[in-house]
Amino acid sequence: MKVFCDWSGGKESCLSCYKAMLLALFTLVFFFVSFTCAFSFPSSPHLPRRIVSLIPTVTEELYLLGAGDKIVGVTVYCQRPPEAQTKEKVGTVIDVNIEKIIELRPNLVIASPLTDHKQIRKLRNLDIEVKIFPEARDFDGLCKNFVTLSRLLGREQKAEEIVQKARIELGAIKNAIAGFAKSRVFVQIGANPLFTAKRDSFINDLIECAGGINMGRDAKTGIYSREEVIKRNPEIILIVTMGIVGEKEKEVWLRYKTVTAAKNRSIFTVDSYSVCSPTPLSFVETVKEFVRIFHAQQ
Amino acid sequence: MHSSKISTWIWWTFFLVVLLLAVVFFSLAVGAVDLPLRKAFFLLTEGRGTPEYAILFEVRLPRVLLGLAVGGGLAISGVILQGMFRNPLVEPYTLGISGGAALGVCLNIVTGGPNVLGPLATPASGFLGAACIVFMVYAISARKGAIRLSRLLLIGVMVSFMASSLIMLVMAVTRTEDLHGIIFWIMGSLEEPNPSLIKAALIISIGGMILSFFYAVDLNALSLGEEDAFHLGVKVEKVKKAIFVIASLLTGCCVAVTGIIGFVGLVVPHLMRLLVGGDHRILLVASYISGAAFLILCDTVARVVIAPMELPVGVITGLVGGGVFIYALSRKSYSF
Repeated sequence: MKVFCDWSGGKESCLSCYKAMLLALFTLVFFFVSFTCAFSFPSSPHLPRRIVSLIPTVTEELYLLGAGDKIVGVTVYCQRPPEAQTKEKVGTVIDVNIEKIIELRPNLVIASPLTDHKQIRKLRNLDIEVKIFPEARDFDGLCKNFVTLSRLLGREQKAEEIVQKARIELGAIKNAIAGFAKSRVFVQIGANPLFTAKRDSFINDLIECAGGINMGRDAKTGIYSREEVIKRNPEIILIVTMGIVGEKEKEVWLRYKTVTAAKNRSIFTVDSYSVCSPTPLSFVETVKEFVRIFHAQQ
Repeated sequence: MHSSKISTWIWWTFFLVVLLLAVVFFSLAVGAVDLPLRKAFFLLTEGRGTPEYAILFEVRLPRVLLGLAVGGGLAISGVILQGMFRNPLVEPYTLGISGGAALGVCLNIVTGGPNVLGPLATPASGFLGAACIVFMVYAISARKGAIRLSRLLLIGVMVSFMASSLIMLVMAVTRTEDLHGIIFWIMGSLEEPNPSLIKAALIISIGGMILSFFYAVDLNALSLGEEDAFHLGVKVEKVKKAIFVIASLLTGCCVAVTGIIGFVGLVVPHLMRLLVGGDHRILLVASYISGAAFLILCDTVARVVIAPMELPVGVITGLVGGGVFIYALSRKSYSF
């Protein structure tokens, strides 16, 4: 056997030729295997076909991704889009009915960190895959969760498109209001005790995106004293509605004549659905609504 | 006379066992999902792997078993404590056991114990909290090895209040996510995913039942008063200590696994006293069986009444237990 050869093959092929061929073969097999792994996985039957969503936002996002037909169970709070209301109800966000979920034979359950941990463990004991989605605290977290969700369904591209669209719109809004004066905003979530939105909440991000200053930003806990509100004199008060309480609270604030917001009657109630459980798209819609409120004069 | 008493007891036991079995079958048969019971045998033989099998044997059956253990355990604990204190208002939670357990669980959840130590951290911390409080109550109220019952009771009540104030303090400063965990636990639930915990609860509750049966005669004597019991040859201090330890252990274990399920330990012993009489030999057996049946029934109602949502079982035990008891009391002359 020759040590060197002219790559003519045949009987005279040499040692290094063998080595090279062997190496090439290995490389080929390796690439083939890794490619099939990487590309065949998402389209394999591992993709969830029957999903139980225990988070209203996730239900809405699944519909956005065009996977509404894969949902077999939702919570009683999953009201949007209207189609979601026809799905089987399996409980609330925090308390679910295990029997119902098992009967629906899901291969993916999406739970919230608020869901009873014992129930989650029980489902996992029964070999049902449960994914816990962390609560997003701002727009970026929201988009991240959205993309993570789409990855589970193999619909990343669609999600990226939606996120991109939302980002562009949000950027346009920010540019449009860049020169406007920022007003002090107080957000009221609960009435008794008075509860506000801290820095690590959506509402804070919503207000800042819409060109406002969230007064509760530096609060340590969400509980806020009425005296403090009066002292810091907000220019706008937003009341996140909880039924008729919103209108009642509005009247309470109107009595404090020293507060600028009361003087100018700049007290508004906003829908708790859009504020508390947004998708990337509805986040932008809410920002638009806030911009209209904050910069009505400009 | 004597033999007729024994035959009455046997009839009562038989009746209550039949009742318990009926409740168990009822509880297995109803739920948010319709499962015809005639399919049960089919499921048993070849249903493995189907959703129906999982619902019946891995969702409903464990709850029934835990209900049996905890309902029986709390009822027994209530009987022997009421017998020892000769006080109709005493129940297993009076001595601060529930408060201690709740405080332990609270601190565990707030410090992030379940994330570090796994799911067993919650029952462990509950039991530890209960043990600490019980030991404290005992140490304060015991002098020279003798328990003074009125002191024990008062200190138990005070410690309970202190514990619940501390729980409120912890809840006021805690994060929202943790708050849910604490409230879930305090409301009590028979949902427990860990089968070995259920087994442990069953063994301890049946063991406690057998152990306390050895003190049934002493408890009969104690119901005449400590002094009379002493003259009847009962080693009063020893018996009191034993009862205290058994009741604490039983209650501590029950609370650690299921959280605070109220009313079972108060109302079941009273109801059984009305029905079978005050002799602890039958009272203990009857209370165990009916306590188990009562809790299983209440849990079943809590499961189905607003399905797919679920009520806290304590709501039903309070309403049903209180209602039945007031009715029974108004129909019969009853003195403790």
